[in-house]
Amino acid sequence: MRVSVDRDRCEGYGLCAEEASHLMHLDDDGELVLDRAEVPPESSDAVEAAVRVCPVAALKVS
Amino acid sequence: MNELERVVVVGASLAGTTVVDTLRRLGYAGSVTLIGAERHPAYNRPALSKGVVAGTDGLDDIVLPPPSGEVDQLIGTPAVALHADRKEVVLAGGDRIRYDGLVIATGARARRLADLGAADPGVQETTFRDLDDAHRLSALLATRPHVVIVGAGILGMELASACVDRGATVTVVDRQPPLLGQLGPYLADLLITAAARRRVRFAHHPGGVRLRGTSGPPAVELADGRRFAGDHVLSAVGCAAETGWLASSGLAGAHGLVVDTRCRVAPGIVAAGDVVAFPSAAGPRRTPWWHSALEQARTAARALLHGDDAPPLTPSPYFWTDQFGMRVRVAGLLPAAGRPAVVDGSLPDDEPWAGSALLRWPGRGVAAAVNRRIPIGRLRALAQLEPAGT
Ligand SMILES: Cc1cc2nc3c(=O)[nH]c(=O)nc-3n(C[C@H](O)[C@H](O)[C@H](O)COP(=O)(O)OP(=O)(O)OC[C@H]3O[C@@H](n4cnc5c(N)ncnc54)[C@H](O)[C@@H]3O)c2cc1C
Ligand code: SF4
Repeated sequence: MRVSVDRDRCEGYGLCAEEASHLMHLDDDGELVLDRAEVPPESSDAVEAAVRVCPVAALKVS
Repeated sequence: MNELERVVVVGASLAGTTVVDTLRRLGYAGSVTLIGAERHPAYNRPALSKGVVAGTDGLDDIVLPPPSGEVDQLIGTPAVALHADRKEVVLAGGDRIRYDGLVIATGARARRLADLGAADPGVQETTFRDLDDAHRLSALLATRPHVVIVGAGILGMELASACVDRGATVTVVDRQPPLLGQLGPYLADLLITAAARRRVRFAHHPGGVRLRGTSGPPAVELADGRRFAGDHVLSAVGCAAETGWLASSGLAGAHGLVVDTRCRVAPGIVAAGDVVAFPSAAGPRRTPWWHSALEQARTAARALLHGDDAPPLTPSPYFWTDQFGMRVRVAGLLPAAGRPAVVDGSLPDDEPWAGSALLRWPGRGVAAAVNRRIPIGRLRALAQLEPAGT
């Protein structure tokens, strides 16, 4: 499973990082940083939760 | 601790799916049944009045991933009754689903002027709440119609913005001046200025609004006799908790579905999201916003599993809106009275859309970011700064 962020949509809310803090974080400018794009199987739930809580639907898993 | 083997969640949108996620994350291994009335998979609702009506987002752009782990999904089947004494939810087809733990996450429905006694009998009234509504409005906008929107709150204004973006002309009619009650004077003025530039017309009268006519598109009448007719008339006059299916259960009273600070309704029953009235200094209040649904859902899941040992929720209100080229995010309790201090940036009074700023209402615990990105945590910290600490 891979996770990607649509930079045009992402508003730096950071709600996603609250769900999957071991896979993504916000940098000092409020930009979302994906620490690993390839999601380990044991983290797929956390990543899906992160996708779901993003208010602007900026994250996608494939 | 009570033995929980069967959890049933009614309402398959943000609050419902977040409860399911959180239960699994907390190690709950029993069965989960998710019941949802809409025939679509869950989607991002705030996008409806923004990208979907504007025509830039389709269902693929806003659909939410299905809940993780093993979940029995019953989508397109509304619950019609709750028998709390027998711990049973009754579905539209007559099926009964047993639970040990129940999550009520049925959200809200659009309120109608008819509900408020402000519509002629038999009048055709159109509201906006779900994906089908958004597709319908989007299709109507293809002819660049004149649209009359009743309700100058957040939803009415976002819809006005999306309509003008599609080339429609828009008049917004309300009992109150636009956005004042929701946002306070400063933010309201900012957005009204931005709306006026897009030629949105406004009318209001404290005596109220009435929807008139029994055939064809209705007209809107203000208490002073002014009448507004358009190709389409849309009501955006707030939302009401979706508690109809709970009628015989006695759980929802005059204040709606009241929960405690752990989002509990009754033994074995929790609730979260737009359906909920949460305790506040002013009594139980609904806070029908994305972030409230999230924090309530997480609280409710913990309470279902751990009861009194679950931490109570101290809400940290967070709200945003996009309209007329302005993006406003607010941490803290709205409406914000008075003028804010500008912490950074600037917003020219006559063309606020050209600026960007961080604002703070000292002593009120409110901060806003206008046309500017800032992580939620930092905006919250700004809202909480003591007046003397700056
Ligand atoms: C157009 C629009 C724009 C918005 N914009 C913003 C915004 O910019 N910022 C913000 O913070 N918030 C916004 N919101 C609010 C936000 O969308 C809600 O707070 C959030 O969706 C609440 O989630 P929920 O799961 O509690 O309720 P809902 O999303 O309303 O979901 C409830 C679900 O339960 C289902 N249901 C209802 N009754 C039954 C039944 N009897 N049986 C089974 N299922 C049932 C419904 O079909 C629905 O799918 C907006 C809302 C709308 C309508
Ligand atoms: S929640 Fe959405 S908008 Fe916010 S940082 Fe994550 S991806 Fe970006």
